[in-house]
Amino acid sequence: MNPQVFVDGIVAGSMIGLGAIGLTLVYSILRFPNFAHGELVTAGAYFALSLAALIGAAVGGTAPIGPFSFGWAIVLAALGAMVATAALALALDAVLFQRLRRRGAAVIIIVMASFGASLALRSGIEFVYTASPAYFTRELQIAMRLPGGLRVTPDQLAALALTAVLVVAVHLFVTRTAAGRAMRAVRENPALAALAGIDVDRTIRLVWVLGAALACAAGITAGLLIQIRPTMGFDLLLPLFAAAILGGVGSLPGAVVGGLVVGLGEALTVAFLGAEWRAGAAFMLLVAILVVRPNGLFGRAGG
Amino acid sequence: MEFVAYATFFGTVALSYALITLGLNVQWGQTGLFNVGVAAFVAVGAYTSAILTTPATEGRIGGFDLPLPVGWLAAAAAAALLANLVAWLTIRLRADYLAITTFGVAVAVQLAVLNLTPLTGGPFGITFIPRPFGAWASDPALFGFANLALVAATVLAVYAVLECLARSPWGRILRAVREDETAAEALGKSPRRLRIQAFTVGGAVMGLAGAVQAHFVGFIAPENFLPTLTFQVWAMLIVGGSGNNRGAILGAVLVWAIWAASGALIGAVVPAELQARAASLQIVMIGLALCAILLWRPGGLLPDRPRRPRAR
Amino acid sequence: MSRPVRLDGLVAGYERDLPIVKGVDFAVAAGEFVGIFGPNGAGKSTLVKAVAGAAATFGGAAFLGDTLLTGLPAHKVLGAGLAFVPQTENIFATLSIAENLQIAAEVLPRAARAARIGAMHAMFPDLARAPHRPAGSLSGGQRQMLAVARALIVSPDAIILDEPSAGLSPRLAHDVFTTLARINAAGTTIILVEQNVRAALAVVSRGIILVDGRVRLDAPAADLAARDDLGALFLGTAAAAA
Ligand SMILES: Nc1ncnc2c1ncn2[C@@H]1O[C@H](COP(=O)(O)OP(=O)(O)OP(=O)(O)O)[C@@H](O)[C@H]1O
Ligand SMILES: [Mg+2]
Repeated sequence: MNPQVFVDGIVAGSMIGLGAIGLTLVYSILRFPNFAHGELVTAGAYFALSLAALIGAAVGGTAPIGPFSFGWAIVLAALGAMVATAALALALDAVLFQRLRRRGAAVIIIVMASFGASLALRSGIEFVYTASPAYFTRELQIAMRLPGGLRVTPDQLAALALTAVLVVAVHLFVTRTAAGRAMRAVRENPALAALAGIDVDRTIRLVWVLGAALACAAGITAGLLIQIRPTMGFDLLLPLFAAAILGGVGSLPGAVVGGLVVGLGEALTVAFLGAEWRAGAAFMLLVAILVVRPNGLFGRAGG
Repeated sequence: MEFVAYATFFGTVALSYALITLGLNVQWGQTGLFNVGVAAFVAVGAYTSAILTTPATEGRIGGFDLPLPVGWLAAAAAAALLANLVAWLTIRLRADYLAITTFGVAVAVQLAVLNLTPLTGGPFGITFIPRPFGAWASDPALFGFANLALVAATVLAVYAVLECLARSPWGRILRAVREDETAAEALGKSPRRLRIQAFTVGGAVMGLAGAVQAHFVGFIAPENFLPTLTFQVWAMLIVGGSGNNRGAILGAVLVWAIWAASGALIGAVVPAELQARAASLQIVMIGLALCAILLWRPGGLLPDRPRRPRAR
Repeated sequence: MSRPVRLDGLVAGYERDLPIVKGVDFAVAAGEFVGIFGPNGAGKSTLVKAVAGAAATFGGAAFLGDTLLTGLPAHKVLGAGLAFVPQTENIFATLSIAENLQIAAEVLPRAARAARIGAMHAMFPDLARAPHRPAGSLSGGQRQMLAVARALIVSPDAIILDEPSAGLSPRLAHDVFTTLARINAAGTTIILVEQNVRAALAVVSRGIILVDGRVRLDAPAADLAARDDLGALFLGTAAAAA
């Protein structure tokens, strides 16, 4: 088998992992699978696209940096887009999820609301940007040759590095800081967290900000490596869920490993069955893990 | 005359949606099982019946030319089988895993009908699906009425069966399970088995609905079974009032009316080159409607029963 | 510092049309140690949860000194000077022992935190033994100690404990009561909800008996301990007159 499959799988997997950490954070702390997470990915990519165009027109910075296909305008736009995506997530929580939580609505009602929000957002994005794909740059990239005949583009390496940095940073944030500790306390027991002096609402807002910023990063990476489409996040949703459940809901390292497994699974599917079956890989992995180990590869029993 | 033709057409489509909504009501309204893959079960029904009843086609497996009732029954059975598998796999787990799995089933079924070209016709789908009362096709009014009557009779029959089921001891225990699992368990009833049964019954009804739609329209393609279909059916059930079979039918007719009217409005008002864009606004509207109802009128138009007031 | 706690006609519960606490008045002086007793389901937990902001208040008010507690968001109550140890799920089992203490210490000024955590380690040596183990690995008694330590770490003006002796051996329960008496002697106002009435009457100075969401009897501990119809009082059958 061509070892290039593994390179492709790892690159795709790191993108899935990035989106899955955000999903698993929200899933474990707010206790519902957010079907609108895919749209945060999409919105992040489009925010960055619009901002990059604005920055490019206003101050330039469109010339590629070194071997990469993108310029400083996109790097700056990425930061702005993370803020914008976080704002979108906070707005969504304020008008929809928070109200349902306060009313004591069942988890599944909140899931359904996220489903409705996903539909509205996706079609709203399609209305604004149309269904035709968009690209950050038209620069062509020359793949670098690695030993063993492997090929990888500088952009792909940048995406891998970004994922690694973000994953480690988020992991340290959650395990080592007071805010991260508060997040874990709210995850275990929101009522007790409040009694222990933690502002639960603020902590939940922080979770949304983190989750949305990571979703945005995943969207921008996907936009750079593939293309930007209104359905890009929705198409990513099943791989994201599969990765989160594979890793055990709530586990950040698990989500990344799950993402890599799903990415590799997709690459192998493409290699053996053909590209048209790619989307089936996540489903098969999801079913397999639910049959064998529903708490995930690293999950605690009953967790 | 044209109006009558349109009204029969509208009624037939709306009632076929009512059938899907009735299926979802068994799963969600009466049992509390969240199915995000409604389109998959409808698709399985539609394709099963289409493959069994179309005349033999070159380049495609099947076209078995079987009688229509065989196709419909097989459609219900195939969707029931799929539902049973999904339920068996996930209902022992958390409620939200069922949601995620059904979402995955929708993706997988969409992928299968798109790519199993020798069986499903791939992106082009299956055409020349025999229409009921095809012999009367030369008289459009009679043909339309006959079809409307057939779909209406099917809805009525399914409604009657579901009402009977809901009132039977089985239905009562199902409600008990939905309200209070431990109490039901204490009665010696396995909530898991009951839930699997309810999910299967709902899936069967959706499959039947898929077959009805396929035979009424005459052709099917993968794009008829996109997630938008699932959303529409959910909106129908939530608007009508989940748990209430009459609410499900009312919601289906109402939401379909709003959908068709807004579509017609866009067609009339928006210039042709912008219509695709405007159509996405139509979907935004359903999404918003779904959220708004969950926020402000969680019981729908015909609530199951008065909700207990909750403390703020 | 220690402050009094006062309840004025408190009505509380989980659903507005079905109050569990049906108008409760009492005052606990600064530095006083008061027990709240009553049958299962009397509403003791609901009462103290409402005071701490963890259950809904539908009428009346609760004060800590001059501070109105009612309507304060739950996470502000600890900072206002009132610590509460719930009856169940009163520690974060998935967090480490150290983190459990750090969370509560967060309310304090940065400079004061280490010293207070040290003070808790001195009071409960078990908690200093393996601070990085998950709190869920502690024994029942150690969990109660951690919960109490979490409440004490902020040097509260008043502390409310909901059945801290539940599930403990008589010996451990005795230890908990002795610790509470010591904390009280240092000047902290304490309200203690207990099933273990006889043992609690040995440490509290006053007892309040709650039946069906109302105060049935409010009397000095010595008087209560002397009554031989204590059991009947609990069932609400005996006359309330002291
Ligand atoms: N979270 C809740 N939601 C609704 N009702 C509750 C809740 N918690 C308690 N109740 C009800 O409130 C009533 C009083 O409960 P509470 O826990 O206050 O009693 P208690 O006096 O503390 O009893 P115990 O001695 O058993 O701890 C009970 O009837 C109980 O069913
Ligand atoms: Mg209690």
